[in-house]
This record gives sequence, structure tokens and C-alpha cells, in this order.
Amino acid sequence: MTAKSALVLCMDVGFSMSNSAPGEEPPFELAKKVIQKFVQRQVFAETKDEMALVLFGTDSTKNPLEQDGQYQNITVHRNLMIPDFELLEEIANQIHPESQQADWLDALVVCMDLLKKQTEGKKYDRLVIVLLTDLCTQASPDELDIIIDNLKTAGITLQFFLPFPAGDDEEGGGDGDRGGSGHPGAGKGLSREQEQGLDMVKHVMLSLDEEDGLDEIYSFRNALEQLCMFKRIERRPTAWPCQLTIGSSLSIRIVGYKAVMDERLKKTWITVDAQTNKRDDVKRETVYCLDDDNETEVQKEDIIQGFRYGSDIVPFSKVDQDQMKYKHDGKCFAVLGFTKQSNIHRHQFIGNQVIKVFAPKDDEHAGVALSALIRALDELNMVAIVRYAYDRRCNPQVGAAFPCIKQHYECLMYIQLPFMEDLSHFTFPSLENKKFVPTEAQLSAVDSLIDSMMLVEKDESGEQKDMLKVHHIPNPAFQRHFQCLHHRAVNPGTPLPPMEPWLKAALERPEVISERCQAPLEEVKRKFPLTAVEKKKQLKTSAQIFGKDTGEPDAKKAKGDEEEEDYNLADIAEGSVTSVGSVDPARDFRTLVKLKSLPFGEVCQQLTHRIEQLLSNKNTHYYMKSITCIQAFREQSVKLGKADLYNSYLQSLKRSIPNRGLEVFWDLLVQDAVTLISKDEVEGSTVSKNEANQFLITDEKKEEVAAPTTEDTGDVDDLLDMM
Amino acid sequence: MPFLLSGEYKVTGRDSLVFLVDASKEMFIKEEDGKPSNFDMTMQVVRSVYTSKITSSYRDLVALVFYGTEQSKNPRNSFKHVYVYHDLDEPGAKRVQEVDELRGSKGAQLAAKTMGSGETSLGDALWCCANLYSDIKLRLSHKRLMIFTCRDDPHEGDSVKDRQGRTKASDLRDTGVIINLMHLMKPGGFDVSLYFRDIITPPEDESDLGLQLEPCAKLEDLQNRVRAKEKKKRVLNRLNLCLGEGINVAVGVYSTAVPARKPPPIKLYRETNEPVRSKTRVFHTQTGSLLLPSELKKAQVYGKKQIVMETDEVDSIKKFEDPGMFLIGFKPMEKLKLHHHVRPAVFLYPEEDDVKGSSCLFSALLKRCSERNMFALCRFTARRNYSPRFVALVPQEEESDEGKGQITPAGFNVIYLPFADDIRTLDAPQLPCASQEQVDKMKQIVTKLRFKYRSDAFENPAIQQHFRNLEALALDMVAPEDIEDLIMPKVDQIDTRLGPLVQEFKDLVYPANYNPETKPATTGNPEKKPKVELPEDELRAHVQNSTLGKLTVPVLKDACKKFGVRTTGTKKQELIDALIAQLSS
Repeated sequence: MTAKSALVLCMDVGFSMSNSAPGEEPPFELAKKVIQKFVQRQVFAETKDEMALVLFGTDSTKNPLEQDGQYQNITVHRNLMIPDFELLEEIANQIHPESQQADWLDALVVCMDLLKKQTEGKKYDRLVIVLLTDLCTQASPDELDIIIDNLKTAGITLQFFLPFPAGDDEEGGGDGDRGGSGHPGAGKGLSREQEQGLDMVKHVMLSLDEEDGLDEIYSFRNALEQLCMFKRIERRPTAWPCQLTIGSSLSIRIVGYKAVMDERLKKTWITVDAQTNKRDDVKRETVYCLDDDNETEVQKEDIIQGFRYGSDIVPFSKVDQDQMKYKHDGKCFAVLGFTKQSNIHRHQFIGNQVIKVFAPKDDEHAGVALSALIRALDELNMVAIVRYAYDRRCNPQVGAAFPCIKQHYECLMYIQLPFMEDLSHFTFPSLENKKFVPTEAQLSAVDSLIDSMMLVEKDESGEQKDMLKVHHIPNPAFQRHFQCLHHRAVNPGTPLPPMEPWLKAALERPEVISERCQAPLEEVKRKFPLTAVEKKKQLKTSAQIFGKDTGEPDAKKAKGDEEEEDYNLADIAEGSVTSVGSVDPARDFRTLVKLKSLPFGEVCQQLTHRIEQLLSNKNTHYYMKSITCIQAFREQSVKLGKADLYNSYLQSLKRSIPNRGLEVFWDLLVQDAVTLISKDEVEGSTVSKNEANQFLITDEKKEEVAAPTTEDTGDVDDLLDMM
Repeated sequence: MPFLLSGEYKVTGRDSLVFLVDASKEMFIKEEDGKPSNFDMTMQVVRSVYTSKITSSYRDLVALVFYGTEQSKNPRNSFKHVYVYHDLDEPGAKRVQEVDELRGSKGAQLAAKTMGSGETSLGDALWCCANLYSDIKLRLSHKRLMIFTCRDDPHEGDSVKDRQGRTKASDLRDTGVIINLMHLMKPGGFDVSLYFRDIITPPEDESDLGLQLEPCAKLEDLQNRVRAKEKKKRVLNRLNLCLGEGINVAVGVYSTAVPARKPPPIKLYRETNEPVRSKTRVFHTQTGSLLLPSELKKAQVYGKKQIVMETDEVDSIKKFEDPGMFLIGFKPMEKLKLHHHVRPAVFLYPEEDDVKGSSCLFSALLKRCSERNMFALCRFTARRNYSPRFVALVPQEEESDEGKGQITPAGFNVIYLPFADDIRTLDAPQLPCASQEQVDKMKQIVTKLRFKYRSDAFENPAIQQHFRNLEALALDMVAPEDIEDLIMPKVDQIDTRLGPLVQEFKDLVYPANYNPETKPATTGNPEKKPKVELPEDELRAHVQNSTLGKLTVPVLKDACKKFGVRTTGTKKQELIDALIAQLSS
């Protein structure tokens, strides 16, 4: 059973609470805000904690203790229950400043009575009364000691929220006063009642807790600052009892707890009907179908499971899988061996958690044994490599148990390490390349940048101070999530609010750093020229293509302008081209070459595939289409000055003519005079003008052509060599 | 969680890899000391690549081609002395078996019988490989060809063949194929400059010569070298590391350690074993009409209230800023706590192609951070609609082992840091500490069990078993091959090594009657409640007055047992309901 706490919010709504200096928010409003924020936090944290609301200074009286004119003007607004949005709405709409005053000690007694009666028979691990008042009413101290005694026996904790700070030195529980002006009333001086009241508050608090009692007195301002943060997600640590084993006969009883864990939001979004906002109106159904033209539906019962083994799919039923799967003995924390800490690389940590391993708290022998291991590892600078299995259902892991010795405790910290399958070994070019090696001047610019951006510094007393402890910052995703949910719940129909300024600021460079690093940053900027390389994106709209075109040098543009216009327009109609399709391969090819989204070689490969497909049809229409493709191939190759791919394709095509019986096609090609790209057209070509012209004349000796004779290419090369 | 793993690679299409293996007599020469021949070694590597592709990236295409064979076998049989053993396709069970057949001395015999050794023309071989590539109808994103040979002068001075080889190699390279040489041991040493230097793709930068000079003598080296090349470095995403206004260093984010998982099952149609597709439809429960995304909203319930948002609002809540990394400042390395671990790290390397000058600034930062023992603290938004996280950029300097290869590349390891929400408060138990004598005894134990940990030493038994099972089913084997569970403690060895140390340590820390295997009887649960027997009349009274709720669950359970009430649930209300049903009738 999870323990929960019971809390009574007890708020002063009496007339003095509405008094304020001009331009300042009255204490009532501040106190109301504190309550709202507090309840919100509880609502979103979804704890089992229960909450009651008692108001005092109300015009009416409604509480179980009222009798004979006692306990007047005190109203129990809500009994102990889990807080919800209803309570939030009530606070927003039903709580107003009223015109009476009531004794805050009386209100406290009502709260104690409420707690006593309503928690009876149930289990709570904490009882709290939170009092929000300006202490302006005279309180009778007669029964103070009885009250304190009762609080003590009932085990009730008190918290006070006041419009002013409680002490001159002690800033109640907060993280320090950020500029005194934030506290109205602080400078004003307190009334006699307030001073008396404050003395009584201090007396009560110190009687309850001599040391830290005053820490539980907060000012409204301070509390608000702290409460604007949504409660961080807290999970109760679950104990994982097990035995650490070394070999067969040495075991130590241990208990593991998750200490660090990549936390997620507990709730996921549900889908609702937009009209009715009802979840039940929406049904999601999954159907299965064969991958054929009719998409034939398959019944669920007719589906079995399989796995891929490379190109094969192996049917493998769940039952078989369970029977054959890797099985192990369950829960385990077994040492495989010990190794130097330096053999473990931090960047190879895997998993998303750190487990702290202690001995059970009631077993001091285990404590000593584990302590011996922890200290031995620490002194030797080593870690234990262990096999860890959470339980029988979970697959075992390998991980490292590091020794961790703190002032108040010792433990092992377990972190998962990778399996061989988890690692990828990439090699990267060395950065010791002379093109990239920074100069001395550049290095010193980086040095002064680092100096100016040091987040850890020694203060006057020589102690290190960390300016930005990121592990103290709440996860901004959760904060934003709850901020928006809260906004939508309270102000339905209005757009979501911007991010809260404090959250934005928490994610930025600390201001000091920001200012300090300006000059060094400028220096870095001067010393290191950085130029963004214009990149052609993969998916481009035609508009962007036009845009790019205008950026090109005119000379290059002049020639192809018309055709470009043509196929770009076609693009608009057809949508973007990602591969050479079969409908109009020549056009696709041109577009792709233009886009440069794929390497030229690849586009050519796609085109030649299409050509081969077309040619396999042995039909004049397809022959003509092939020829347009080859013409496009040639035209683009010449344009880009890359003759090799085209030439070698055409050569191999020619060789295959007799075998494939494509003589008719060849004749068409000859008619169109589509020949090799010669040296005259493209500098890099290995073909002379003469050879190019000769090329179209079919070789008479067909049987020789059939085989890709080495002489053929050799000859060409030889010729070139001679030239 | 697969935070950065979700697809979205910039390059789409299949990776492909062609093994072009020399089948000349020299490859089959056995070393005297029983070491495997170069051919045998190559086949082992090919097999391991096949199986690793099957387990990790089955969609990649792999081919195995032999050159310098006597027999010829290729698609149009237009090349002599080139034997396409496997054309470019996804590797499967059958192919693994076929490679297995070529291993060992039997394998050598089989190779001699089916392929034999003959003339060599690297030009033809490369041309043939080019055809393999062009016969593929799929889009290929990454094309690699690895030549395995122990002959540095394959054509023995035939300049025509040499030239043809060079031409074909350059043709291949022009079509985007990366050619690597996996050169093997040869008496007198392998001289890359003699011929192969002109064949292979030049390394990414000229100082990267170490990778090609030394031939591989050991299987492990060859395997490592192949493994390093076999996978394309896949950049998860490219983004800017912003130091300040207008100072953007382009970086690529790579993942180097990601938990491998069992691939998900595929749904098959029982009759034909063909995969089925699933279609999910969302419709209105009442009207039965299909609902469009615009007709749906998202909701969460808090404090008894349903809070509704538009789908795009849900996305916008998640968005903080555009993807990128923003430098916050620097901290000394000791401020990086070991236990601040929430996710596997990623690796950062400059992208000179995106922003010119990136490598230089990156390199300067790396150098200085490394020398000054600092890390850079950054805010990191990995993708659109991802909330930011703080990360530590930890410098890593390049490490190579004597001219053989890179062990660690230069770059920053990106360590994810926890937020306040990620850290749990624990109540550490207060327990006595060990004495120095006890510690020293444990030190002896620790020292006895020392070993050198290597991160690639352990295979995942669950995944291995899964694939062995599939292999057995795919290949109609009687039973799956046994796997060795490498993360099982070698208990016997440990016991022998430790000898009497264990007892000595136990004598030092445990009292005589203490048994750590069981729960301590003395301290654990001392107040186990005596069984509460509830008399029948009292129970009936409770039923009558509907006050059963006052009883505890164990008492109710006992009562159920006693009166033979069968309950399905264990919840209090269920027990009460069952009792009432039984006793009030």
C-alpha cells in the first residue's frame, strides 16, 4: 500500500487580507494564488494525497465545532479528499474576500479536529496543516500550549504562509531573497497584532521542531516563485532484493534501487471524437490483408507469426518461440570478474538507468561484506563486471558495478554495458589533417572563449561554485506539458499560452556567462571563417528549382533555357521526381540530373534500366522511346562533361545487339546518328571523333562481338596511348 | 528508448557489398603452423558478414564473386575466369550454408572442383561486378566492393590486363562504388603500390594511409578491418553546434552503441506463409463512418477532468526550438558524474561539407577541451518536436594501433545529462563499514579474478539464441546450434581460482550461523502476525451490518477459504462481494 498524506489548507479570507498599499497586490490575492498553484501541482502529480480546505474570516460559519458562539466565522469549505479540478474551480470562483475576522488559532483547532476525525481508521504517513494568514487578528494565547501538545501527539506538521518574511536573517525555506522589494510589508513594519501573532507563530513552530521549525514559515512571494514549477515527477523507489554472488559459495545479500532513470510522463494521449470529445465514440480497428491487387482481407485467426532470417521469412509460432527462446534462472547479480575502471568507457554505457546497490537495512553482516567489496574495488580502482537479470521474464544484461563511497553511505552503482551486437565501429578521417589543424592564434582564441565560459569557479572562500547544475532543473518538457494542460483545463477555448519566462531562462546560458563571453566569441568569429555550403535539398518544389536556376551563371543557362522551362512545368503537373519512372524516363532523367539529388552515376543506372526494360519489348514504339532516353543520356552527359558512363553503356549495348536480336533498333539508332561522345565534345572522353563516327557501323564479325573481348578496349587504350 | 534511432536517414535505399575474392592457387596455400589459408580465412569473414547482415541489416545486398578461377559463371557468361558464387541479393540461410561449404580443407576441395584456379583478369572481374550492380532494380544508397587477395601483381606484368583493370576500376568508382582492398599475407610482403593503389578508392584523407599498408595476417584483424568498412557510417542527423550568434559549426551525430533488439515478428497468412499488411482504420462507434484525422482530438484526464487538445497543439507543446546544439559553457571533467546516465551516448564529428571551416573550429575546441580536461555543456534538441536536453560534450582523441587501424576516432562523445525529475531520492541504509582486514581479504579475491574487459567480448545470449532458432528452422536443422552464454559466470573456474579465500573472507565477515542465501530468521519480519481466526457468527454479523469492509484482506481471504468461497480476484471488494454472495444466500 502506498503511503499518502492528508493536508488541510487553511486560508484567512477576513477583511484585513484585502488591505494593501497602492500598487501592491493584496495578501488575499497572493494567498489565493499560492493555494491555486499548490492544488494544481497536486492534481497533476496525481498523488493519493488528500486535501481539505478551511476558510476563516468568513461571513457565515460552518464547522463541526461551532457552539455557543465559539469558533465563529470559520467555514469548512471542503472535506478531506483527493484534489481535483472541481476544487480548483471552486477556489477560482467561490473564494472571495469577506468582511469578518476570525482567530487563526481557532481556525487551527478546527483544522486539527477535521484531520483527527477524517483520518480515523485510515493510514496516512503525514498530516499537515497549512495556514495562510496576515496575522492581523488578535489571537488568544491562552490555550497555545494545549494546542502545541495536541499537534505533537497527533503528529501534525504545520506550515505558515505569511505576507511578509518571518525573520530578518532567515528567509523561510526559500532560496534566498532576490531583492527586498519583492516583499510588500517587509519594509512597512508590522502592526502590533501582527508582531504578537508572529511571535506566537515562531513559538509554535519552534516548539514543534527546535532546529528547523522556522524553515516552515514562508512568505507568499517566495512560495509563489517556488510553486510556479510543477512538481517534479517523483517515483517511490522499489526495492529489488537479490544476492550478489562471486563463484558458487560467496554470496552477499543486496537490495537494488533505481537511482537515476530517464523519466517519462505516465500518461499518454487518448484519441477522442472532435465533436463529442468522447473517447468511446472512436473505435480503432486493425485489419490484415494480402499484398495483392485486391487487398484480400485475411481473418485474424488465419494469421501466424514469422521472423525474417535474411531474405527468408521463417514461420515461427509464439508457442515455439517461447519454448525455444533463451531461458535463464531468473533474478541474478553474479560477478563475472573484475577489471580496471579505465577499461570501461563512459560513452559505451547503455540502457537508461543507474541502479544503486545496498545491503538490506536490517542485515549488518551483509552490510560489512558489501562494504568490504566496495572499499576493495575503490582502493584498487576497479569495477565488478556482472551478469544482471531483473527477473525470469527479463533478458540478462552485462554491466559494471562501480564502487561509490559517500560521506553517509556506501553502495555499488550498476550501469549496463553493451553487448557485441550493440556496437558499431566507425572509422572517421583523422582531424590531424593539415587542412584542419588550427593555428596557435586560433587555439588561443578558443582558450579565451573557454575561460570566459567556465561554469565552475572558485568563490572568495576558495570553494568551487557550479553556476548551472542541470540536474537541478526540472525537465522542461514536463513543465510545458502541465502548463498547457492546466491552461486548457482552466481556460477552455483559448489558445495555448507562451512558454513561461522562468522556464525559458532556465535553459539559457547564465547571464554572467552571456555577458562575459561576448568579446571572446567575436574573436572566435574573426579567427575562424565559417561559410555555409549551399546544399541542394532532396525534395524540392518546382518553385525552388526556378529559384536556383536564376542563381546560375548566365552562360550556362542560355542554352538549355527552353527545355528546362518545359520539364519544370511538367514537374508542377506531375509532382516531384524521385526516380526514373517508366512513363517518361527521359524527362525524369533530365529532372533528376538537374536536381542533383542523386549521384549522376545512379541516375544513369536507373535510366539504363528503363532502357533495357523498354528494349525487351521488341516493338517499334518502345524502340523509339529507348532512343529518346539514349538521346537524353547523351545530351546530359555532354552537358556535364562526363562521357564515360554513356560511352561504356553504348558500347556494351552495341555488343549485345546480335545476341538480343535488336538489329532493327540499332538501325533506328544509326538513322538518328546517336553515336559515342567524342573527345571533341567532352574533354575527358577516350573516344576520338573518328571512332565515334565509325561506331555506328555494325561489326561484320558478329561472333567476335558477342564476347566482351579484352582486345577491344585494349585497342582503344593503345590507340590513345599512341596519340 | 529508441530516441535517435527512428529511421529518417538522409540517404534512403539499400546498402550493397560485393566480396571479390581471389581464387588463385596462392590463396589456398596452407601455412605450416596449421593456420588457415588465406582463402579459408576470407570465407570465415564472409560468413560472419553474412550472418551479421542477417541479424542487423537483412535488407542490405551482398554478393560473392571469385576471380582467377578456371570455371566461369556469370549472368550472361560473358566473362571468363569470373565465378559469381552469389549475385547481389539479401543474404539468407541458404547462402550461409553455401559459404560454409567453402570453409576448411573440404571447402578448398570443393572450390577446386567447382571453380578451380586459372587465369586472372581483374578488369573482367570488376566489369562483371559492375554488371551485378546495374542488374539491380532497387535503389542502392551505398555501394562497396572489397577485394580479397594475396597477390600484389595479379596480371604478372601483363600491361594490357593491368590497364584494363585500372579502367574498369575507375568506371566502377565513377558510378559511386567504393573499392577497398583487403590484402592478405604473402611471402615477401604485399606491395600495394605495385598495382592496387590505382584500383582502390583513395582514402578519405591522405593521412589515412595506415589502413592499407599492412596486410592482414590474423583472422581477427581481417574481421575487424572488414567490419570497420562493411557498415556505412550512418549519420543520425546533421545539425549546427552554435557557439554564439552566427558561429555555427556543422556536425554530424552518430550512434556508436545502441542496444540491438530482436527484430519484430512479421504477420503471415497461415495458408501461404506470405506476409500480410495491416491497415488501421478509425471509425465512429455509433455511425460507423470512418473518421478523418481532422475529426479527432487528443485528451488526457487529470483531477477527474478530461482536458482536450487539437492534434497539432499536442505537437506544438513538444516543440521548443529547431534542432541544434547550443553551447552553454564549460566545466572541468570531474564535474561529470558517473551516475548521471540516462541514455546511451552519441558521437559528434564535424561536417565540413555543410559548413566550410567546421572541422578547424571543431578540432580547436576538441584539442583545447582535451588538453585542459574540460567538457562543454550544451543544450541539445535532436529533432523537431523534441524537447531539449542538456548534454556534456566529452573530448575523445584519436587512437590507432601501430599502423593497423583506428581504435577510436577523434570527436566529442555526447553524454546525456539527467534533469531533476530523473534523479530519485533514496534512503540509504545506515550500516557498519568493513574493517581494513576485511577489505584486504576482499582485495585478494578481486585481484584473483582480474581480467581485461573488452566491450565487444560479450554476445547477447537472448538474441543469439533467437537467430540460432531461426537458422535451425530456416535450414531444416534438427536442433538449433548451441550458443555459449558468455555472460554466465564461469563458476568452476572462479571457485578454483579463489580456493580457500572465499571461506577466509566469510569467516571474517559472517558469523557462524549466518546464511546469506536465506532470509535472516532473526531479523526479518519478527512480527509476522498470528493468524486471525474469525468466528463464523462474527463474520455473519459483519455481512449483516455490511461492515465487512472493516476487515483486512488476509482475514477476508482466510474467511473465503474457510467457507469454501471461490474468488477470482484478490481485490478487497471482490472478496467482500464473494463472501456476501455466499453467506447471505
